Amino acid sequence: MRKAPEDPTLPGESVEIPLLAPHLSTPHFPARQIAGYVTSLILTGLAFALVAYRLLPLSTLLIVVLVLAFIQAAIQLGVFMHLREGRGTTWHLPIIGLGLFVGLGIVGFSIWIMLFKSGVS
Amino acid sequence: MHSWLIHLIKLLFPPQVLLPDIIGIDIGLTLSALAIVVYLTKTHRWGWLWKEWLTTVDHKRIGIMYIIAALIMLFRGGVDALMLRSQLIVPNAHFMGAQQYDEVFTTHGTVMIFFMAMPFFFGLFNVAVPLMIGARDVAFPRLNAISFWLFAFGAALFNISFSIGGSPSAGWFSYPPYSELQFNPGVGENYYLLALQVSGIGSIATGINFLVTILKLRAPGMTLMKMPLFVWSALVTSTLILFAFPPLTVALGLTMLDRLFGASFFTLGREGMPMMYANLFWIFGHPEVYILIMPAFGIFSEVVPTFSRKPLFGYEAMVISLLAITFLSYGVWVHHFFEMGAGPGVNVFFGLSTMLIAIPTGVKMFNWIFTMWGGRIRLTVPMLWQLGFIPTFVVGGASGVMLAAVAADYQYHNSYFVIAHFHNVIVGGTVFGLLSGLYYWWPKMFGWKLNERQGRWAFAFFFTGFWLTFMPQYFLGFEGMTRRMASYPAGLGWGGLNAMSTIGAFIMGIGFVILVYNIAWSRLHPEWDTTGDPWDGRTLEWSLPSPAPAYNFARIPEVHERDAWWSLKQAGKTDAVKLSPDQVEPIHIPKNTPMPILLAASFFVGSLGMVFSWHWMAILGGLGVVASLAWGSIQDDTDRELDPASVLNTEKRLGRVHP
Repeated sequence: MRKAPEDPTLPGESVEIPLLAPHLSTPHFPARQIAGYVTSLILTGLAFALVAYRLLPLSTLLIVVLVLAFIQAAIQLGVFMHLREGRGTTWHLPIIGLGLFVGLGIVGFSIWIMLFKSGVS
Repeated sequence: MHSWLIHLIKLLFPPQVLLPDIIGIDIGLTLSALAIVVYLTKTHRWGWLWKEWLTTVDHKRIGIMYIIAALIMLFRGGVDALMLRSQLIVPNAHFMGAQQYDEVFTTHGTVMIFFMAMPFFFGLFNVAVPLMIGARDVAFPRLNAISFWLFAFGAALFNISFSIGGSPSAGWFSYPPYSELQFNPGVGENYYLLALQVSGIGSIATGINFLVTILKLRAPGMTLMKMPLFVWSALVTSTLILFAFPPLTVALGLTMLDRLFGASFFTLGREGMPMMYANLFWIFGHPEVYILIMPAFGIFSEVVPTFSRKPLFGYEAMVISLLAITFLSYGVWVHHFFEMGAGPGVNVFFGLSTMLIAIPTGVKMFNWIFTMWGGRIRLTVPMLWQLGFIPTFVVGGASGVMLAAVAADYQYHNSYFVIAHFHNVIVGGTVFGLLSGLYYWWPKMFGWKLNERQGRWAFAFFFTGFWLTFMPQYFLGFEGMTRRMASYPAGLGWGGLNAMSTIGAFIMGIGFVILVYNIAWSRLHPEWDTTGDPWDGRTLEWSLPSPAPAYNFARIPEVHERDAWWSLKQAGKTDAVKLSPDQVEPIHIPKNTPMPILLAASFFVGSLGMVFSWHWMAILGGLGVVASLAWGSIQDDTDRELDPASVLNTEKRLGRVHP
């Protein structure tokens, strides 16, 4: 395998956040990844079924689907994006912050922009 | 004949692909393909093609393949443009029918943006960025090859649409409800959706790849603020790609669900919301135009100091303005649809944020001019494109600020004024920049220079043609000509301006022909670059021989100053890049692998299955994708070690070893 170059310029060795403390483990069987994959599939299927068959009233449905989405995002970040496996975990914080800023910004702005529809239809 | 066979033939060859000009092109393409096959077979080059190019993971070769593909796509998009302009040269012309006209402007826009401009600068990133930061390759070489092949097969998928099944016809941004099944029943829109989706995966991967490369693989001593500006532009472009492409993926994916699986996200009725597509598309689309222009800014920031023999004026301001444009470009997308009716609050917010972008862009303009001020300017071809860029882009930028004024935009919207504006910035900015970069880095790619005299002619024709084409279009906009008109009646006073515009387009076409001639002529009469530094350059790529060896740097250089190579030359220490025999180390380089091309070919097969709703074929392609990925994951033997003796031999041959 290619050797990862040592990079002394990244900050983060000095500050540790318990939640983001690095877990550098490489087990042979990728149990965590498979569990994450199956959980993601179940969560997606659940959300799809809830919407397709209208199993809940609309307001509850929105909240439940949102909660499912956030759980899945956390699984993606934790299992597949190796959030807790890198060195320099504080370096992740501004990047995740930027992602949240852009993501929530897009959602918030889109709602604001598309609200006009309630006035015309 | 069996009825299913008749049905199949009707599906593959609807009336719109049976026009005489398209059949003529089909025959021409088939003959060219046969000629290439015969040539490769006669010269026994199939093995060479497979081993040296199709399976390569070397960033320099991937860069060259990107650029060749982009030039071919520039030709295709250019021919589309000339067809459009031929139709409009006189009132009431019927060179093409309205349906074909719609198809041609759709493919012109889509090809130029997704399959010409983007791969062109991906190619230049690949060629230059690793060499500029003192790296041996990009961070993920195999992923890099995957990106290229996804782009190539995506482009192929899009381009076969005009001879098999019919081209898309809903414009490059493909607004619903017109792009929905109800109004657009053929397979053309499916081609658009799938081709962009496949090449989009490649673009996102390229963004990630260059982000990691630039953050992690810089030579020791090269801090962020010592990076060349082109590397900075690659960094911000990659960031933009990473955040901008996912909304496009979503918009295309939902439209695909509408068309293929009977969903109703954007349909008329059934609670569909067509304007939501516009919203999602432009969340991608506006950052996209900055994705297109930032690399050009980076190229000019290298070209201007080199040919003015001065360091870049206001380096810090240049970096800050790049970051400011990156940030602001996410907050302007509504200016593409002010007329939707969102109300004054929304429109004023997005109008103001759009105008704000003019400030950092103006800073950059002044900095390039101040860099030239008092410098010893050499009027080489890359510099000519830069000098052409400054007035062109200023006009395009100023008309952009005019469009940002919401009340006035109600007049300009959907008129030729908009066409003139965005060609002014995309051709005058992006294309001029890319061609400048092409001439600038050409010797580094191939080891020989492009002829300067022919290059100046190409520039002269392209530049003159450009102004003649697009300036009249501003006035056509003022006179009320709307975009995408397949024809127009006489007596509206549009004839003269349209004729000028068409003549200009053909002059640009001549410029392109001269460019191709320039490349072919220079290949046959090469002016070899023996020094590796033909332009008296400033950055690290010019410290290497042209073309660079497979491993780029036998020893990773140490960087102390901003223009690392220039400072070595000033201090008379250019020997520092040479090796002593005892310094040679073994070098790890990645092995070639056919996995990327197989993966992308599977995507192609699967997507074609989706386009025609042949589910067995889609599943087959999907299985191919999974199999390629699985095979790629279990490969252990992914890199090889160059032993010190062979490295030393190569370096000796290049004259880079201390005696």
